[in-house]
Amino acid sequence: MTFFIEVVLSGLMAGVMYSLVALGFVLIFKASGIFNFAQGVMALFAALTLVGLMENFGFPIWLAIIGTIAVMIALAWLIERVMLRHLVNQEPIILFMATIGLAYVLEGMGDIMWGSDVKVLDLGIPQGASDWMLDNFDIYIEKLEIFAAGTAAIMVAFLAVFFQKTRIGRALRAVADDHQAALSVGISLHTIWVIVWSVAGIVALVAGIMWGSKSGVQFSLSLIALKALPVLILGGFTSVPGAIIGGMIIGVGEKVAEVYLGPFVGGAIENWFAYMLALAFLLFRPQGLFGEKIIERV
Amino acid sequence: MDQKEPDTDLDTFPKLLASHVKLRPTRDAIREKDLGIWQSWTWAEAAAEIRALACGLASLGLKRGDKLAIIGDNRPRLYWGMTAAQALGAVPVPLYQDAVADEMAYVLDNADVRIALVENQEQVDKMLEVSERCPKVEHIIFDETRGLRHYEQEFLHDYEKVQLAGVAYDHDHPEFYDREVAAGSGADISIMLYTSGTTGNPKGVVLSNDNVIITARNGIVREGLTADEEVLAYLPMAWVGDNLFSYAQSYVAGFCVSCPEDASTVAQDLREIGPTYYFAPPRVYENMLTQVMIRIEDAAEIKRKLFHYFMEHARQVGVRILNGQSVSLKDSLLYKLGNILVYAPLKDVLGLSRTRLAYTAGEAIGPEIFDFYRSLGINIKQLYGQTECMVFICVQPDGEVYADTVGTPAIDVEIKIDDNGEIMYRSPGVFLSYYKNPESTASTKTEDGWVHTGDAGFFDEHNGHLKIIDRAKDVGKLNDGTLFAPKYIENKLKFFAFVKEAVLFGDGRDYSTAFINIDLDAVGNWAERRGLAYSGYIDLSNLDEVYQLIKECVDKVNQDLSADSRLANSQIRRFLILHKELDADDGELTRTRKVRRNFVGERYDILVNALYSDKTECHIDTQVTFEDGRTGSLAADVRICDAQVFADSSTDQEAAA
Amino acid sequence: MTQQSAAETILAVENISLSFGIMKVLDSISFDIRRGEIRSIIGPNGAGKSSMLNVINGFYHPQEGSITFKGETRKQMAPHVAASHGIARTFQNIALFKGMSTLDNIMTGRNLKMKTNLFWQALHIGPARLEELENREAAEKIIDFLDIQAIRKKPVGKLPYGLQKRVELGRALAAEPELLLLDEPMAGMNSEEKEDMSRFIIDVNSEFGTTIALIEHDMGVVMDLSDRVLVLDYGKQLADGLPDEVRNNQVVIDAYLGVPHEH
Repeated sequence: MTFFIEVVLSGLMAGVMYSLVALGFVLIFKASGIFNFAQGVMALFAALTLVGLMENFGFPIWLAIIGTIAVMIALAWLIERVMLRHLVNQEPIILFMATIGLAYVLEGMGDIMWGSDVKVLDLGIPQGASDWMLDNFDIYIEKLEIFAAGTAAIMVAFLAVFFQKTRIGRALRAVADDHQAALSVGISLHTIWVIVWSVAGIVALVAGIMWGSKSGVQFSLSLIALKALPVLILGGFTSVPGAIIGGMIIGVGEKVAEVYLGPFVGGAIENWFAYMLALAFLLFRPQGLFGEKIIERV
Repeated sequence: MDQKEPDTDLDTFPKLLASHVKLRPTRDAIREKDLGIWQSWTWAEAAAEIRALACGLASLGLKRGDKLAIIGDNRPRLYWGMTAAQALGAVPVPLYQDAVADEMAYVLDNADVRIALVENQEQVDKMLEVSERCPKVEHIIFDETRGLRHYEQEFLHDYEKVQLAGVAYDHDHPEFYDREVAAGSGADISIMLYTSGTTGNPKGVVLSNDNVIITARNGIVREGLTADEEVLAYLPMAWVGDNLFSYAQSYVAGFCVSCPEDASTVAQDLREIGPTYYFAPPRVYENMLTQVMIRIEDAAEIKRKLFHYFMEHARQVGVRILNGQSVSLKDSLLYKLGNILVYAPLKDVLGLSRTRLAYTAGEAIGPEIFDFYRSLGINIKQLYGQTECMVFICVQPDGEVYADTVGTPAIDVEIKIDDNGEIMYRSPGVFLSYYKNPESTASTKTEDGWVHTGDAGFFDEHNGHLKIIDRAKDVGKLNDGTLFAPKYIENKLKFFAFVKEAVLFGDGRDYSTAFINIDLDAVGNWAERRGLAYSGYIDLSNLDEVYQLIKECVDKVNQDLSADSRLANSQIRRFLILHKELDADDGELTRTRKVRRNFVGERYDILVNALYSDKTECHIDTQVTFEDGRTGSLAADVRICDAQVFADSSTDQEAAA
Repeated sequence: MTQQSAAETILAVENISLSFGIMKVLDSISFDIRRGEIRSIIGPNGAGKSSMLNVINGFYHPQEGSITFKGETRKQMAPHVAASHGIARTFQNIALFKGMSTLDNIMTGRNLKMKTNLFWQALHIGPARLEELENREAAEKIIDFLDIQAIRKKPVGKLPYGLQKRVELGRALAAEPELLLLDEPMAGMNSEEKEDMSRFIIDVNSEFGTTIALIEHDMGVVMDLSDRVLVLDYGKQLADGLPDEVRNNQVVIDAYLGVPHEH
């Protein structure tokens, strides 16, 4: 039993990581209808920048974080200026292609600026097993994972209040709902896009820090973006809670499947389980668990 | 019961107001939801507002005995207008706010109104429309200024300006207000309420302060009401019930009254206020239940099952628990569980979670509906009342509530049944007279103070409660001599959620027939769940399936009637579903939404004749009035359906009873 | 509907031409709107009425001509700039934020009245909170004005059509505009709803002094409400004048009014 709980918990924690990346996707998709292929690379880019600032410039942690946030905001501004502004009213597929391009540009920039070797990210986030959990419940769980879960929870709560209760949150929802109407009440799409991409950039930074702390900052980090796709299909492309819960389901599902089913099919379930689950969802509930009318809408 | 001798010095509303200012100056007297927030006024604040308004009215020339018309939704300022008029010894005359200008003109003129206090532009426009026919109206005061900016008539006054003038007047004549209040007495006229009346012009019922205040106090004593009650004032101010529950009893007991934000938000406001003392006519309870049922049918499977399971349990034991009878421990525990899972959340949605006392009156309420609320633990009781005695004639006592009776006489009320079966009563609430109508007064009220109710009824032998069958004048006979009590049968039909209105015909005919109005919500939902397509009311009411549905209701009523030998022959032989909803704007209903049977019979005489022929379909072209006053026509082919008639089974029933 | 003959011109449109590809939608249109008036634009379907509104509030950028709004002449402006200068609008096919409540929709209309920056907004404290409350009050006044208290918290996507139109008007009013563009505010309404909407338009005009440009098909409504009427047909200006002049203009009668229309 304890073992099962351990498996579930570690799945949950891995799921939180997926959720963080998926969250970035959802924000941008909601506000602009763009499927941002570069979200995973943004997480990598953010983590690289953070490490770079600390290692190459000797920034203290807090300054490095602020610096990275500034870089991400600047990046959002640049993306709006150079890319989005010129692609207004284009087909979604064209915007999607543009984000693929963006992914390569970011990856390249990260490579040129900070080099391509694996870097250790040490922000002083506690490492190792949580003794308290071990002592009290006899469950092995990493401190970093608890920390990641806590951070994700705070971020989601923060975003929820921001979206529901503030002018800019309302404006973001308004843009997501109807571009023309949003324009007519004086909302500037350009500003909103910069804000959305900035927020997505910051979410990417958090995701990057978590993944980086766990497995080092390396270019395979950008691949977690691929795991976020089934998460989105599960949770729905437009739902923030959907991204969170979808991430957790995938995380738990693949861990449990790996441990309990793995031996029968020769292992490596973890690599494809998420996609099978997503496929099943596409067949039976294409709008995802929490997704809105998006697909029904005519 | 409260044995304290009532303070007989407090024999007018302004005097009661002054006593509350001394007793509970900082407690809320009245509330109103405005701009999404509940605004409240304490007794002291309300008294100041009223004083300023009274002096302002005086400065406009309102004097002792003059009439002040009050027209609008329930608003604190309009209630203050009543007290302000009473402070001057003038008489408030509230009018139904949704009446069209023509209807208002009659009352304004008949009541000799000098000043009208109205809510908004809509009412001002109506007043201006009839100003030539009401030369006695000298001033119009309006509460809401919106849309009135460009009205330049000199006799139009902004409420706030009148109050300002009043403050100045008060300053110049500091003793004026107190002197006027002191001059009032219990014998003075307190208010004039116009009864809507099913025939003829409305009549102004003149009630004295003693009539109103003593009756209000008796009601409070009987039910043990306190200054802590919460009441929502949402029924028309012109209706006697609102005047009693939201005004008179508030002033006597000292409780706070809340005014809804808007007529359309009453359900939400009810939830927010959570009244402890609540009045609603049967149709409001019916609508609430219908809404609940629709929502439950649309709810998830598990929720629906849970609801039906616990409601069934409540049906079995809820009423007994409410009546204080003992039930088994298991039932009691299950009821408590049901309360957590179903009853309490449901009562919260309905806004009745704090309700200690709920009245209903005006018409008979369906026993299922009545029991539904009682089984939830809501102490809903029927009362029997009239404008002519400030409401109370009979009230159901706690623990002795039967769906088919209206209870025992209220405090100080005497009741007798005359030779024709008509109910008569005498009480301290009995009105002084109908205004300027001595003939009607004499034909309604005997010299020794007995009042004809116009209702036929009798006291139940077993429990001594009064039972009402019908209007005395409506009880007729079929050609074979069978008693024909149309309203009794109509009510039985209306107990079905699918039937909104029913109109029975049969007096002086060979057999009974009926017009049915289906309930668009209930039947529409029913049809949707069965995947039946329809494009609107007419279409829906003409569907085969709907006819079958209604036929089942009619058949059940017939079966019921067959159980009573006096009524068995009055079973409904043929019926039709009317192609339009009966509407007060077309004169088919009264403003209190009672069916005007004779009018309907004349208006649709083609259909009535068809019911008494062997036709199965009848074409009709009807004039209808839209809400903006324009008229149009509505044509339809109405189908006529035969109902099942049952053999007289009264003998078995009697044997069983 | 007061006589505003001497009033200043709030908006002047000069020689506006607009084409999409080879399709000429507006052909050298010139007219003006005076402060405080109700100005109607009528014409058959495809006459270019909606395009004209879209030019005024910056959705479309005309190839030729200029627009002078409050004394400032420009060839085009971005929609959010037009909004910030006091132009609000409603749409022919309701464009509400369907997932949001009535209140939130109206609060969105207050967007430009709210100034606190992202920092305070993000923290949802201090000035941002205070501002939120002030603007909530303004939104509540509009809710009261339009008599939509009962649907305050309801998602607008689920409201009946007539109410959605009303909420959309509310959102436009929330911006406290100087010029309100109404694109067929009564389309698809029954006579009772039309009457309510007419009442609101008149009240907006007289209570707040808002200048209104109105596109409407119901001639009865147009003739009752308008101070002046502009008639377009296939992108061309057919007539411009007082309702009575337009009604009696033979060209207009031939082109438009002569055609039977619903009333």
